[in-house]
Amino acid sequence: MPKYDLLRIPLLRKTLESRWPQLILRAAALGGFAIAILAGLLGTRVGNHNFAIVVVWIAWWAALMLLAVPLLGRGWCAICPIPMPGEWLQNGAALGPVQDGSRHGRSLKRFPKSFRNIWMQNVAFTLLALFSAVILTRPSVTGWILLGMLLVAVGASLVYERRTFCRYICPVGGFIGLYSQLAPLELRVVDTKICAAHKEKSCYRGNAEGYGCPWDVFPGGLAVNTNCGLCMECLRTCEYDNIALNLRAPGADLDPPHGLKLDEAYKAFIMLGSALVYSAVMLGPWGALKTAAYSIGSPAWWGYALGLLVLIWGLLPGLFYLTTRAAQALAPVRLPPRKLFARYAAALIPLGLTAWIAFSISFVFANISYLWPVLSDPFGWGWDLFGTAGAGWTPYLSLAVPMLQVVVLLGGLFWSGRTAAKIAAEQGARRHVWPVTGFNTLVTIGLLWLLVG
Amino acid sequence: MKKEWLARLLVLALVVGFSAAALYARWADRTLEVHAAMPEKGGWLPNTLTARADEPLTLRLISDDVVHGFAIGQSDQQPSVDILPGKPVEITLLFDKPGTYTYYCTRWCGPNHWRMRGTIEVEGDDSSLANDPSGPVAPPLYLMLGIDLDAPHDVQVDVTRQPSARRGAALDTNLPAEMLSREYVRAHSPYEVWQTLRETPAASPLSDADLWDLVARLWERSTTPDALQTGAQLYAQNCATCHGTTGAGDGVFAAALAGETSATPISPGLGHETVAPTDFSDPAHMLGASPALLHGKIIRGGMGTGMPSWGLIFTDEQTWALTDYLWTFTFQFQFKETTP
Amino acid sequence: MMKSSPALLRNAVFLAAALLVAFAPLPLPQTPPAERTFRIDATQFAFAPAVLTVNPGDRVTIELTSLDVVHGLYLDGYDLQISADPGQTATMTFVADRAGSFRFRCAATCGDLHPFMIGKLHVGPNTLLWRSIGLALLAMFAAVMLGMPRLRKA
Repeated sequence: MPKYDLLRIPLLRKTLESRWPQLILRAAALGGFAIAILAGLLGTRVGNHNFAIVVVWIAWWAALMLLAVPLLGRGWCAICPIPMPGEWLQNGAALGPVQDGSRHGRSLKRFPKSFRNIWMQNVAFTLLALFSAVILTRPSVTGWILLGMLLVAVGASLVYERRTFCRYICPVGGFIGLYSQLAPLELRVVDTKICAAHKEKSCYRGNAEGYGCPWDVFPGGLAVNTNCGLCMECLRTCEYDNIALNLRAPGADLDPPHGLKLDEAYKAFIMLGSALVYSAVMLGPWGALKTAAYSIGSPAWWGYALGLLVLIWGLLPGLFYLTTRAAQALAPVRLPPRKLFARYAAALIPLGLTAWIAFSISFVFANISYLWPVLSDPFGWGWDLFGTAGAGWTPYLSLAVPMLQVVVLLGGLFWSGRTAAKIAAEQGARRHVWPVTGFNTLVTIGLLWLLVG
Repeated sequence: MKKEWLARLLVLALVVGFSAAALYARWADRTLEVHAAMPEKGGWLPNTLTARADEPLTLRLISDDVVHGFAIGQSDQQPSVDILPGKPVEITLLFDKPGTYTYYCTRWCGPNHWRMRGTIEVEGDDSSLANDPSGPVAPPLYLMLGIDLDAPHDVQVDVTRQPSARRGAALDTNLPAEMLSREYVRAHSPYEVWQTLRETPAASPLSDADLWDLVARLWERSTTPDALQTGAQLYAQNCATCHGTTGAGDGVFAAALAGETSATPISPGLGHETVAPTDFSDPAHMLGASPALLHGKIIRGGMGTGMPSWGLIFTDEQTWALTDYLWTFTFQFQFKETTP
Repeated sequence: MMKSSPALLRNAVFLAAALLVAFAPLPLPQTPPAERTFRIDATQFAFAPAVLTVNPGDRVTIELTSLDVVHGLYLDGYDLQISADPGQTATMTFVADRAGSFRFRCAATCGDLHPFMIGKLHVGPNTLLWRSIGLALLAMFAAVMLGMPRLRKA
């Protein structure tokens, strides 16, 4: 499928080259973030009427999972406010390089090599999942977590160079990166030869126009979206106008599929497994399960925690490992089992994203009407800024939601199947596709049962 | 450099500005806030307020967990206000007399809901007008009659069919004139009245069951449909949770009160004893009790049983209406409850 | 374009099969409408029973009894709502004329987990689930058949 470079539109190029639109969006987001922290710590204890809970876990989550990630990949990362204060301190500037962006990060360390992967993000997301029933419902906990993320991001910026927090620590960043491979948008270079010949590599080192890549990526070598934060610094620093922002076929990064690293493969299982667990806990009719997930420290919670950990870190990857062993038995290929496992895990990416979309559709449409009162009264202090404080709770589209979920999930399964077929063909072992797709189908049926059963 | 400063200003304005504006608005708002939480988590906060007579007292009522309600006891100046979680509501109270007032939660918020009470001390210059609920002008009837509320009052009666006021009215017997007064009925138990009737020569042709119908008729005569309707509403809101909608003592908290389940702890840590709620449909229990006795129990509460005291909450008229309604579980009245 | 006709045919077969699985009328057993009454106990944060099953056309009465604090019940798809204080049972009656599976949710904020207090009403067999499982199997085959790159001629 042909690609179209959006930067050919002069207005868009100007808008993205300029630092102001991005700065304004980020500053507004940071303002909202500050309000969320304040509301979490000082506002009403009633979660569904507190800005921190409703805006972060319903509105922002909906915007992220239903729009930003599927359409823009890491688009959210481009305007995320969390690293902003740290970057300001790191760069000594809020807007752009005061003198020369290449001075950026001179005295700062690189993140230790053994942590330059997404294992920390996998652990961070798992921790959030373990405490999710409390985090998602108690404003003060959300407030402390948002504040904590901000402080960790600032700390990381002061000790390590570039956006270390975003790339290696942020619990959300890991899966956004994984699923950004599906987006119909990519940042690449127009001509890799120009980059290869360019000695200064100002896109990586920075120059007077901008900072070296905050995501620690050399744009000339970009093959997948995973680690590109769409921050547009390279667009500003490139001396040859060699950066392209392509509209492309969705999921082009999986066509042909690039094998995943083991940490990324695990991220795929963590996401798929937590979508199953969240669907059961939050949308299922089992009250005891909800109470177990909520009563942190109780024996029931330990049961929930153990179940969650076993499922997402052991059972699902284990089953998939057996699946790839079965594939190997069907059609032997010369590849170590671990490699085969990680390679086929790429086939879980579309299903993982659609599982999260299907799960999110359900609770977002049921609860987004809490947003209207919260915008007027963010802290639950009795304000009525926009006259919507009295708006009541009404689930939207409750009749259409299950059908939407089915369509989205089946789309994901089909997409995952095609991806598996491509990987199998690439291996020269076409029969591999059956066990892998069979695994996906089983997971899909499980999700269907939980979501529309 | 100019642009950089502009950018810094913009970021700070949006971040610090917004937050500071919110905090300032909060700080500048001096409205008195009363938080409501489930009694196990603190109940009213604060639970004592002060005001001055003839000066308005504005309160912002805030629920921190579940649905609560606010009302002032023994008063109809302020209708009950629902306090929905996360939706603060403001009310303005005006007391024309100094004294001590009780505010209480009006929506069941757990088995200890009725413990959610607070007091408003209203000061004023004219203390002769003082509203002092601890020493009402006229003491309740049970005190005047010298009834011991805690004495056993069950009677052995053989009531083969539910006494019916309609059948009683049809018997057209010349009842002793003294019995037709409300005061007489309130001071006597149905059993006492039945015994007196049994000894009346005019009633000798009537069967025991017929006489019970006459008693039911007397009880019905002593109240009004309006009072029964009021009583029905008060009962549904305040009593049915323990005594059950049919009066059989089988409300949703009954098992917990009887100590049969540990699922819903009643007054944890407070050391209060509780017993199974009274069954108002049990003739042996009801026919030996006078309205004055029931009225007294409602006012005072059942010591050591878990029965709340309602003396500070209901007006005397309301308490009588509720007392009257309790008889509908024993007697058949020609009264049809209308649901609002 | 003779070459592409087998692919075209395959696509058409899958499409036809998908439409069949998705929309073919099923010979569902017809049951005479009945009166059904459920008493649902609501506590923080569960309904008991949490799963109700009725037949299409049944006249359903739900008596909601709260055992601790004020709870509510909102029924997806039917857009019906009631709320019940402890001791004051609330009732909703409706004709289950819409087949499928519907969630019902607490409609009165009752504590932290209130948004997750959920039950289900099944009206007749859950054809959406069965059809979508059928479609999932079909999607699996379609993905493999249509997704597999052609073998290059050696």
